[in-house]
Amino acid sequence: MSTSEHGTLRRSDVIQPRGRAWACAALALAAAVSGATARAQLPPDPAGTIEPLPPASPHWVWVNDVAFFAFPDGRAFLVDGDSGKMLGMLSTGYSFTGVVAPKARGLIYSPESYFSRGTRGARTDVVTIYDATRLVPVVEIEIPPKRASVMPMPGAQALTDDDRFLLIYNYTPAQSLTVVDTRSRKFVGEIEIAGCALVYPTGPRTFFSICGDGALLVTTLTDEGKVARSTRTAAFMDVLNDPLTEKGVRRGDTWLFASFEGMLHPLRSTPTGVEAAPTWPLFTPQELTQHWRTGGLQHLAVHGGSGRLFAIVHQGGPETHKDLGNQVWVYDLVSHRRVQTVAMRNKVGSIQVSQDPQPLLFACSLENNRLDIYDATSGKYLRSVDPLGLTPTVLVTP
Amino acid sequence: MPDRRSSIDARVERLARDMAQRVSRRSFIGSIGALLCGAASVPLLPVARGESPARASPGTGADPGDPQTCEYWRHCAIDGFLCACCGGSAHSCPPGTEPSAITWVGTCHNPADGHDYIISYNDCCGKSECGRCLCNRNEDDKPLYMPFKSNDYNWCAGSKVGISYHCSTARIVGIAK
Repeated sequence: MSTSEHGTLRRSDVIQPRGRAWACAALALAAAVSGATARAQLPPDPAGTIEPLPPASPHWVWVNDVAFFAFPDGRAFLVDGDSGKMLGMLSTGYSFTGVVAPKARGLIYSPESYFSRGTRGARTDVVTIYDATRLVPVVEIEIPPKRASVMPMPGAQALTDDDRFLLIYNYTPAQSLTVVDTRSRKFVGEIEIAGCALVYPTGPRTFFSICGDGALLVTTLTDEGKVARSTRTAAFMDVLNDPLTEKGVRRGDTWLFASFEGMLHPLRSTPTGVEAAPTWPLFTPQELTQHWRTGGLQHLAVHGGSGRLFAIVHQGGPETHKDLGNQVWVYDLVSHRRVQTVAMRNKVGSIQVSQDPQPLLFACSLENNRLDIYDATSGKYLRSVDPLGLTPTVLVTP
Repeated sequence: MPDRRSSIDARVERLARDMAQRVSRRSFIGSIGALLCGAASVPLLPVARGESPARASPGTGADPGDPQTCEYWRHCAIDGFLCACCGGSAHSCPPGTEPSAITWVGTCHNPADGHDYIISYNDCCGKSECGRCLCNRNEDDKPLYMPFKSNDYNWCAGSKVGISYHCSTARIVGIAK
């Protein structure tokens, strides 16, 4: 130490006045730089923190992922459409079809299946209730291990209009519905719907299923979740030549379904049941000859406030009802006319529209693990979340 | 040639006359009936049918195309991973998996012989997805409310090993009338 100090003194002794000024400037600069460096030092992060969800937004969307290449590992991603940010995820088990978001926010319902050894062993089916503000499971309701393992689509499960009963489609191959009371959080029972499939709610205690002969099975529940009445309508469609896709959307008292050949079938609930309203074509005869068809996993969406119907379309002709589309055609539900064409950035099989006055259009496909977001009014592309999940399927707006 | 025909005729005539002297008409008809019934029952045995040398051979002239491709003619309504890419074949499951007991059927056109065949798309179950050769074609596919014409069901439902889906086969059931 002493040798060094002596050396420093000797060097300073030979510095000339002008050189001394430069040295002072250099020292001052060094001090300034070192001071800035000290200010930039980051404090240690707190350990074990969890990011809270921001306040809920109508522009949030659940992107359900069946994880087709890893079936035991279904997921549901929560995305903010305004920022394009993934907010969180639920881990939802084997052959996952999708979450159900009640009107009263705060909870998320998820019908799920699990095997004790991943892909084998005892099967357990549950409805998991998640806290929607923390994305953690709070309750599990065990249900019969019969939940249908199908390509995900919205009709596989639904809540009655008052959010009281959750109905889940079963296929063993016997066809039935599991009824869960969300108030008591208990499995209520099973409803046989032989020859019919899926569930489409029409009121607090009413819903219908679609039958293989082209009719509807309309069911009314008691306040205990048991069958009060079950009636079958006359057949209203030609299931062999032009069946409805089962991917319907609902606006008020009317469910809207598209047929393979592009006829739009409105099914309106009435005090006594469900009636088939007049059909109308999504395509002109010329467009049909140009092979325009609807297609995809969730190929329709509706914006209730504006009465606009969104349909994924492609040019493919007959028997392409599952093909992805590169355009979304927008229809006015009063005039039945196409009012807008939205070109998609990527081929899509699923679309959903938020229900606020400035709606977003969400689009994804099984073949492309990303979510594209558009302004649903102007059709302008806004942003993407890319990559997202493995094989995104059904989009649910809370 | 005339000599040989007359020689065969003579032998058959002699055989028939001998049999007529030894065997009653009723027992003869009964024997023929038993023979026909027995012959008819042989191909009905599942093992015999499974091992029949007359079974279709994928990839041959009568059964053209590659079962490891989506374009193979039997795949006209398939939806899933092709078992031929996963250790199985067009009609058999990979080792250690279980064929589904129930399934959906399609009708596919064989370009080699011009016939339409009923194809049973049995899934193979009990393991996670094979993950190879994913194929989705939808000729005559119908919605979920027509289950036995729909390829959107996981047909491992109802199998002993549960709904774990591995891959899909395309088995010829017969000619569509």
